[in-house]
Amino acid sequence: MSKAKTQQPAVIHKVIMVGSGGVGKSALTLQFMYEEFVEDYEPTKADSYRKKVVLDGEEVQIDILDTAGQEDYAAIRDNYFRTGEGFLCVFSIKEQESFQATQEFREQILRVKNDENIPFLLVGNMIDLKDQRQVTYEEALKRAQEWRVPYVETSAKTCVNVDKVFYDLMREIRSRKMEAIRQNNGKQKKREKKRKCTIL
Amino acid sequence: MGDGLARILTKQSFDPEAFIAKLAIDGEDALLDMRQKVHALNEDTAQALKKNVYKNYSQFIETAKEISILEGEMYQLSNMLTEEKSLMSSMMKLSLVSDKAMVEGPKEEKKEESPEEETRRNLAFLLEKVEGCSSVTEVPGRHLVHDTDLVEVEPETFVQIQRTHAFLLSDSLMMATWVPTRRGPMRYRFQGLYELDSLAVVNVRDAGPIKNAFKILMFPETRMYQADSAKSKRQWLDILEDTKKKKAVKDKQKKEAANRLSDQLSPSPVNSPMGEKGLPSPVFKDAPEEPVTIDTDFLQADWLEELPEDLDMLIAQRNFEGAVDSVEKVTEYLKACPKGPALKEFKARIDHRVKQLTDGLMSELQVSPERSLRGGPRAARHAVTQLIRLAKSAQACDLFLKNRSAVIRYNIRQLKFEGATTLYIRCLCTVFFSSLSDTAKEFLKAFPDHYGCYSAFVIWAKQELVSFVSIFRRQVFESKASLTTIAECVQLAKKHCAELSSIGVDMEFSLASMMDLPIQQVIEETRDQMVEGIKYRTQDELWRPLNLQNKADCDKFVAEMKALGFDVKPYVSDVCFVALTHNTVQFAKSSLTFVDDLLRLYTIELENMIALAIQTVFTAQMQQFQAALKSDKFQSERSTIVKNAQFVGEKVIGRIFTLYQQNDVTLPLQLQTVQMNFRQIK
Repeated sequence: MSKAKTQQPAVIHKVIMVGSGGVGKSALTLQFMYEEFVEDYEPTKADSYRKKVVLDGEEVQIDILDTAGQEDYAAIRDNYFRTGEGFLCVFSIKEQESFQATQEFREQILRVKNDENIPFLLVGNMIDLKDQRQVTYEEALKRAQEWRVPYVETSAKTCVNVDKVFYDLMREIRSRKMEAIRQNNGKQKKREKKRKCTIL
Repeated sequence: MGDGLARILTKQSFDPEAFIAKLAIDGEDALLDMRQKVHALNEDTAQALKKNVYKNYSQFIETAKEISILEGEMYQLSNMLTEEKSLMSSMMKLSLVSDKAMVEGPKEEKKEESPEEETRRNLAFLLEKVEGCSSVTEVPGRHLVHDTDLVEVEPETFVQIQRTHAFLLSDSLMMATWVPTRRGPMRYRFQGLYELDSLAVVNVRDAGPIKNAFKILMFPETRMYQADSAKSKRQWLDILEDTKKKKAVKDKQKKEAANRLSDQLSPSPVNSPMGEKGLPSPVFKDAPEEPVTIDTDFLQADWLEELPEDLDMLIAQRNFEGAVDSVEKVTEYLKACPKGPALKEFKARIDHRVKQLTDGLMSELQVSPERSLRGGPRAARHAVTQLIRLAKSAQACDLFLKNRSAVIRYNIRQLKFEGATTLYIRCLCTVFFSSLSDTAKEFLKAFPDHYGCYSAFVIWAKQELVSFVSIFRRQVFESKASLTTIAECVQLAKKHCAELSSIGVDMEFSLASMMDLPIQQVIEETRDQMVEGIKYRTQDELWRPLNLQNKADCDKFVAEMKALGFDVKPYVSDVCFVALTHNTVQFAKSSLTFVDDLLRLYTIELENMIALAIQTVFTAQMQQFQAALKSDKFQSERSTIVKNAQFVGEKVIGRIFTLYQQNDVTLPLQLQTVQMNFRQIK
């Protein structure tokens, strides 16, 4: 038990990967975690990872929850989303449907977190397969601007922008946390939850 | 002296000739003396031989008996062993730590088939292990799917918090924390129950130093658990997934059914479960904290804590009496205990044991084909007494009587039908009625003051009687036995039945009512046969006096008739002639037997029927006389015919009157009329 106490960085940023099935959430996560690309596709249920990283000279931990694109039960998805501090909403640029689905994920996250300014990145994955592109950079960017979130295109395979999306999100989370501390000025916790109405 | 002689005679090298020659030298006296001695020796030897044979014979019988008893015991032993085996396997099944609890596909299916039964077993066992979970076990249809030890880990810092045991039930996940200071099986305390509906499971793939972990997200809590191996974790994730799916399917079906029902009423009931899902909360969490303290003190006694285990042991040892003693003791003790959830829980544990105990006792009384029935009624008494003490007198009574039924059936089956019906019926009656009276006596002893059970006995006795009568009927009435045999058998049954009243069971009326119909039928049949016989015989009647050829035979005939109660001396003429015809003598004999049999079957209900049957037979005979008198053919035999008619009218009917008197039956009017009619024959 004492082993676990070996001075883990106190700060943990909790990131959640959302998006339709097969868009590369796990691939991005594994690339970020282990710098390797997994070709085989196997649907994820819900996996969690943790890694020690240095964020702008500060040692922190990142906790990634890689969710299932296929999860059928909204109630259970809610439970996953509640634990997140920031979201990477992933779609595949060669699949229009996955892009459309981001709208739904965005709505659900906002509802669950009850926060318009929740750290959130729209991620268009698989830019190594540009020739099969179905979602243009412009339309994706347009949606990101509507939501007032950044849009980043990535490739888990060729390792384009992978670290960037995670670090960008962590910075967002960190700044949100700072803001919260400033606002509450003392009796703050990482996140103060308010009871919210669930309207179905 | 005799011994000396015997020794000489039995010597291997005994030479009879030399022996005699030696004796002969001493002359005749010595020879005579020797002869006497040999004679005496001969007698002695015969005596000894007889004794030895008898001794060996009785030893042989004893040995044979021993062997058969031993055989029975071996049967019982093997039975007990199988029981033991099933006990063991059921214990294995119940054990929470055993590997058997791991879910395998086909086993799961079985659970689905009888979830109620399984629930009670599994969840009752939870009570043993986990403190404060009585409310969890009360949900019908809920059963245990999987359980193992897990270590709870702080999800942020990964610090190990505590040892827990997770129980996956069919619709929820129950967590219990380990209480290190506790002795005995109650080593966990209820921590929380989470519904599977909204339970989110996260597979922790990589968490630095923490291996084999997974998270349970249950708003607002997040808990992280560490399994002891990768395999165990995999199993948990798979089973959780699987169980969730099953539950979802079930819920969907239920909802659809409910939807269909409440379609027109209101759509809201469908919405409400969804609402609950949105705001899940750990149910029952730490609820019974304060009230526990009140009655836990009371339940703190050492012997109480160990009681459930002790009971288990006693039951396993088949020391039922000891177990019942303990149960009585604890029930008495708990009466004074203040009511509270802890008591309720404890009681549930005890009740579980009592149920096992009852099952054990019941199986003791159960009749199984391979079990020897040698025990007799007294063997059952032991189990019965214990069951009564457990306030299960109704079951005890039921089983006891069933057991006795089986014994009776077995004994009856042992009877071999050989030779005369009467012999068989005699054995049957003895076996049946003595079993019945044994049972009655035993019943009175086993169920004193349980008057409620007496009616059960009465009903049982009636049922047994019915089955007895059906055997009786088959053997007696349907076997075309003669009226004499039937009368004898019926008499036997009645006699045995009447003896039962000495132990306070009077079933004569039911026996009579069940036998009434077949008896009537058989009387009618016999009557018709007699009438037919009379008609048939008179066809070639020549109305000639009986010629017995010589005096000796004539005397013999007279004596024979005398034995039947007829004085035929006046009818004898010319040394060997009797004025009666062969047919008349025949009729006298058969009608006498007929009446005798009928009177043996006599009951008040049958009185009229019997009288009528006799009347019919005699009228038939009388008509033959009248017809003969009118006939021209027998003009010259008229005096013989009249004589015969008078014989029948006076002597035979007179004899019947005597029979009636002997049986203490009032003379029916019909017979007097018949006699009057005979007197008118001229």
